[in-house]
Amino acid sequence: MENRNIKKSEQQKVVVVIPAYNEEKNIIRIIQKVKALVDEIVVVDDGSIDQTYFLAQSQGIKVLKHILNRGQGAALETGNQYALKIGAEIIVHFDADGQFLAEEIKDLVEPIKNGEVDVVFGSRFLGKKSSIPWFKEKIILPIGKLVNKFFVGKSLTDSQNGFRALSKKAVEIIKIENDHMAHNTEIQAKVFKNKFKVKEVPVTIIFNKFGQGILSGKGRGAGGLNIIKDLFLAKLMD
Amino acid sequence: MFQKIIALIIIVLFLVRLFWQKNKKQIKANEFIFWLIFWLIVAVLIINLKLIDALVANLGFSGSGIDVLLYLAIAILFYFIFRLRLKMEKIEKDITEIVRQVALKEKDK
Repeated sequence: MENRNIKKSEQQKVVVVIPAYNEEKNIIRIIQKVKALVDEIVVVDDGSIDQTYFLAQSQGIKVLKHILNRGQGAALETGNQYALKIGAEIIVHFDADGQFLAEEIKDLVEPIKNGEVDVVFGSRFLGKKSSIPWFKEKIILPIGKLVNKFFVGKSLTDSQNGFRALSKKAVEIIKIENDHMAHNTEIQAKVFKNKFKVKEVPVTIIFNKFGQGILSGKGRGAGGLNIIKDLFLAKLMD
Repeated sequence: MFQKIIALIIIVLFLVRLFWQKNKKQIKANEFIFWLIFWLIVAVLIINLKLIDALVANLGFSGSGIDVLLYLAIAILFYFIFRLRLKMEKIEKDITEIVRQVALKEKDK
């Protein structure tokens, strides 16, 4: 009997980490969609000034609170550490703004569960249709890819995608040090550096109007130029 | 000559302030020594401005000694800004770690 539902289908505990910053409009919907599909959800409220924390808590899940806004990278790392603490075997990073489809979590988890790879990245460019705005697809993403190649060395088909799953082993080794949006590049760099087996699977991204621009974005350190600045600083600090 | 005297008076004022701060224990010993040496070097340079002019001309600079001192000051300031940035980055990381530990501790309760 094939069980397409990941929940308790195998021994490996799947924990989804959702960093959230001022997501009161989306958080309940996202939690409800994801909850049924995995073993546990950890929402990390990254110093929201709206009702995100209380709304998330009302859903009967684990909610951690950053007392100050530290950025998405910082929230993910907090979530990772907590997930390890509660015995996660597979950790999925999922956005709180409704960009990702909860049904696709299983696609990311399965290759790790099968022992095929340690890290799975979602990609918008492997068949599934995502509604990417023209400017983002033709200008911002290619630049992002170039920057990524410079810092990571290798390149994925979709270098700027935050939908990913990591094995316990990978999360134990990869510590996210970049608090802001450059964590995406950082994770890839560390994955390749530590020679983890990687797979990309097609995912659908539903685009929001806000998201990230060149100069601005939501939360601390968002926006393309900020990301590049953070990456350079990180190199210098090394 | 007049300019030199004014500059030296200003340096003396800074030095007096420095000793006063030291006495009130507002600054640490290493900070005190740094600024003491700094102002003394500046005073020596100002007194020997002619010498510096000659030295600078020998090195091939077109400006006068005081110009070159200014260039050097700017270069040093840039270096300090750079150092500050790295230090701030480190402090930011520490803040994140504190916020993280608080979040994880709260959950343990």
